[in-house]
Amino acid sequence: MSLNPLKQVLKREIKMMFGRPIYLFSTVFVVAFGYLFFLTLLNEGLPERLPVAVIDSDNSVISRRFARELNTTPMTQVVAGCANFAEARDLMQRGEVYGFIDIPRDFYKDLLVGKRPEVSFYVNNSYLIAGTLSYKDMLTMSTLASSAYQREILRAKGMDEKAIMGRIQPIVIDTHHIGNPWANYGVYLINVLLPGILQLVILLMTVYPIGLELKNKSSREWLAESNGSLTVALSGKLLPYSVIFIILGLAGNVLLYKFTGFPMNGSLLRFSAATVLFVLAHQAIGILMIGLFPVLRVGISFAALYGILSFTYAGFTFPIEAMPPLAQGASVLFPIRHYFNIYVNEALWGTPFVNSSLSYAAIFLFLLLPLIVWNRLKKALINQNYPLK
Amino acid sequence: MKKTLKDLYWVMTNELWHIFRDKGVILIFFVAGIAYPLLYNGIYNNESIYEIPIAVVDQSNSAQSGKFLRKLNATQEVKISKRCLNMEEAKALFMEGKVHGIVFIPSDYHLKLARMEQATISIYNDMSSFLYYKGLMMATNYTMLDELRSIQINRYNAAGIGGEQAEQLVEAIPGNDVALYNPGGGFASFLLPALLILIIHQTLFFGIGMMAGTAREESRTHSQIPDHLHGKGIYKVVFGKAFAYFLLYIPITAYIVGFIPKFFNLPHIGNIWTLFSFMVPFLLAAIFFSMTVSVFVKNRETGLITFLFFTVILLFLSGFSWPRQNMPDVWRWISYLFPSTRGIQGYIKINTLGANLSQVRFEYIQLWLQAGFYLLTASVSLNLVVKKEKNPR
Repeated sequence: MSLNPLKQVLKREIKMMFGRPIYLFSTVFVVAFGYLFFLTLLNEGLPERLPVAVIDSDNSVISRRFARELNTTPMTQVVAGCANFAEARDLMQRGEVYGFIDIPRDFYKDLLVGKRPEVSFYVNNSYLIAGTLSYKDMLTMSTLASSAYQREILRAKGMDEKAIMGRIQPIVIDTHHIGNPWANYGVYLINVLLPGILQLVILLMTVYPIGLELKNKSSREWLAESNGSLTVALSGKLLPYSVIFIILGLAGNVLLYKFTGFPMNGSLLRFSAATVLFVLAHQAIGILMIGLFPVLRVGISFAALYGILSFTYAGFTFPIEAMPPLAQGASVLFPIRHYFNIYVNEALWGTPFVNSSLSYAAIFLFLLLPLIVWNRLKKALINQNYPLK
Repeated sequence: MKKTLKDLYWVMTNELWHIFRDKGVILIFFVAGIAYPLLYNGIYNNESIYEIPIAVVDQSNSAQSGKFLRKLNATQEVKISKRCLNMEEAKALFMEGKVHGIVFIPSDYHLKLARMEQATISIYNDMSSFLYYKGLMMATNYTMLDELRSIQINRYNAAGIGGEQAEQLVEAIPGNDVALYNPGGGFASFLLPALLILIIHQTLFFGIGMMAGTAREESRTHSQIPDHLHGKGIYKVVFGKAFAYFLLYIPITAYIVGFIPKFFNLPHIGNIWTLFSFMVPFLLAAIFFSMTVSVFVKNRETGLITFLFFTVILLFLSGFSWPRQNMPDVWRWISYLFPSTRGIQGYIKINTLGANLSQVRFEYIQLWLQAGFYLLTASVSLNLVVKKEKNPR
C-alpha cells in the first residue's frame, strides 16, 4: 500500500464529508446528542417520589399516620386521597398514579381487638420499573407498620431495643450490589445505550459512503484514485470515520467513568482498547453489508435492521439466557454482546483480563468479515451493474 | 366541491401507484411492519427469567441454615447451582459468569437465632442485568419473610402463646399485594405495547421520508402536482397523500395493535372501538408529522441515516420505562412534539389498563391538535419544496 494514493483518497473523502451537512450531522451531532440525552434524562439515577394514592376508609389516627409515613419514603409520594376503589383505579388507568393502598373501614378498631385487619396494595405492573419501585416502598411500609405494633407490645413488657429487634426480625438480609453499589438505574441503561447509539451510527455511516459511490456511479473513479487497490480505497474512505468514531467512543468512556463517576473497577485503558475494537468491528460489518448487497438502499435497510436489533442482543435488560434457544444463538453475531461482557467484567467486577479474553477475541474476529465479500465488492465497484433504486 | 374530490382522488391514487412501485417503501411499510412485531415477540416470549443459577456459602451448616436454603431453592426465581466452602470460591464462579448471585450464611447464624438475636444473611447481587438483581432480591425476601414468620410462631408457641394470638403478634397488619395489569411482571407485556406503537410511527416516518426523498431526487415533486394545486391548493395534495398512507395503514395497524397482542397473549383488555377511535388521530398526526419532517429529506436513504437513532430516543421519551414525572422538564416538553409520545401512552392505557376514551382524553385531544398543526406545517413544507424545484438556483 503506497501512501500517495491513500492520501488522495483521504483528501477526496474529507472534501465530501464537509461538502454536505449529513456527514457531520449523522456522526458527531447524533452521537453527542445521544450522550447528552441519556445522561440528562436518567440524571436522577433512580426515579424518586413516584405518585401513589391512598384509599383511607378508616380515617383514624393510625390510618392517617400510615399515609403520612408512606409519603416520607424516598420512592413514593401520596398525591391523592380516594373515596373508594373505583376512584383509585380510575387514577391508575389514567396513569396518574402507579399504585394505591386500600385501608379498610374499622381498621384501627380491628387492630386494637387483635382482628388482624388487612391492608391491600395495588401496583400497576405494566410500567415495570415504576411499578416495582413503588411496590417496594409500599411493602416496606406495611411490614414496618406490623413491626411497629409488635414493638409497642414488647416494649410494654419491658424488653430492651436489641432484644426487641431479635424478636421482631430474627433474620436480616444484608444486600451487596456487586459493581453498581447504588443500584442506579441509569448505570444499567446508559452503559449500553451509548455504545448502542454509536454502533447504529457507525453501521449506517459505513454503508452510506461506500454505497453512495455505487449509487452515484463514481466508484470507478474512487477505485482509480486508489490505484485499483480496494485496500487503499477502503482505508482512505473509512479512516476519517474511524478517527471520528474512536474519538466519540473514547469521549463517552471519559464522560461516564471520569466525570459522571460511573463504576469502573477494572482498567479504563483496557476497556478503551475494547472500544476501539468495537468501532472497527462495526465498520467491518458495514463493509460486509454493502458488499453482500451492493445497492445503497438495501445495504442501509439491512444495517438499520441489524443496528436496532443490537440493542436487544446486548442482553442488558433482558438476559440472553431468558430468550428462546434459537434467538439465543444469534447473540454471538453482535459485537455489542461481547462488548457488554467486557464492560461487565471490567467496569462492574474488575476481573482479570483472562475472563474477558474470549470476548476480545470474538470482537476481533469481526474485523475479518470484509474478506468474505472482498472480491464481490470490488467487482461491484468496477461493473456498477446493480440497480440504483 | 366535485373538483376538490376529483383532485384528492387523483393525488391519492397517484401516490399509491408510486408506493407500490417502490420496493424500498414496500419493504418498510409492509415487511418491517409485519416482521418486527413477530421478531420481538419471539425474542421476549419467555417474559421473564426463572431459576437463575446462584452459589451459596453456608458456613453455619446447621438445620436452620439448611431450611433457609431449601426454601430459597424452591422459589421460581433462583436455583442453587453450586455450594461453595468459602467466599473466594463463590466469587470466582461469579466472575466467570457461572452464577448470577451469591448467598452467604455466616457461621454464627444458628447460634444467634438460638440466642434470639438478629442473624444476618448476606447476598451479593449481579448488577449486570435488572432481572438478575430483581430475581435474587425477590427470592431472598420471600424466603426471609417466610422463615421469619415460622421462627416467630415457633417461639411464641414455645412461650405458650398459640393460634390466632401468636399470628396477631407476628403480623398485626397483614399486607395483601395485588399486581394489576401485568400480574407476572413480564418483560414482554411491559415493553411490547410501547414498541408496537413505535413500529407504526417509525415505519410511517421512514416510509414517507423515502417517498419524499425519492421524489426530490428525481425532481418530480412539483412536476407531479398539477399546476392549479400549487400555492393555496397545496392542502389538497397533502390530504390526498395522507389518505393514501392512511388507507394502507388501516390493515397494518389492525394487525399490529389488534392481532399481535391477542396472538402472543400480551395484555389486551382494551375496548376495540376505543382503540379504533384513538388510533385515527394517532395515525393522522404521525402521517402529517412525517410529511412535515420529510422536507429535510433530500435523498431516498438520508431519512434512515439521519433519524434512525431517534427511534431509541422516542421510546424513552414516551415514559414507558423511566417515569415521566422524573424526566427533566425540557425533555418532557420536547416529547410533546412527537405523536409517538401520546400515542404510546394512550395505547398502553387503553390496551393494557383498559381505559376508556374519556380517561385518555388528554392524549386524544393532543393527538388531534398535533394532526391539525402538522397538517398546516406539512402544507407549508411541501409548498417550499415545490417552489424550490420550480426555481432551481
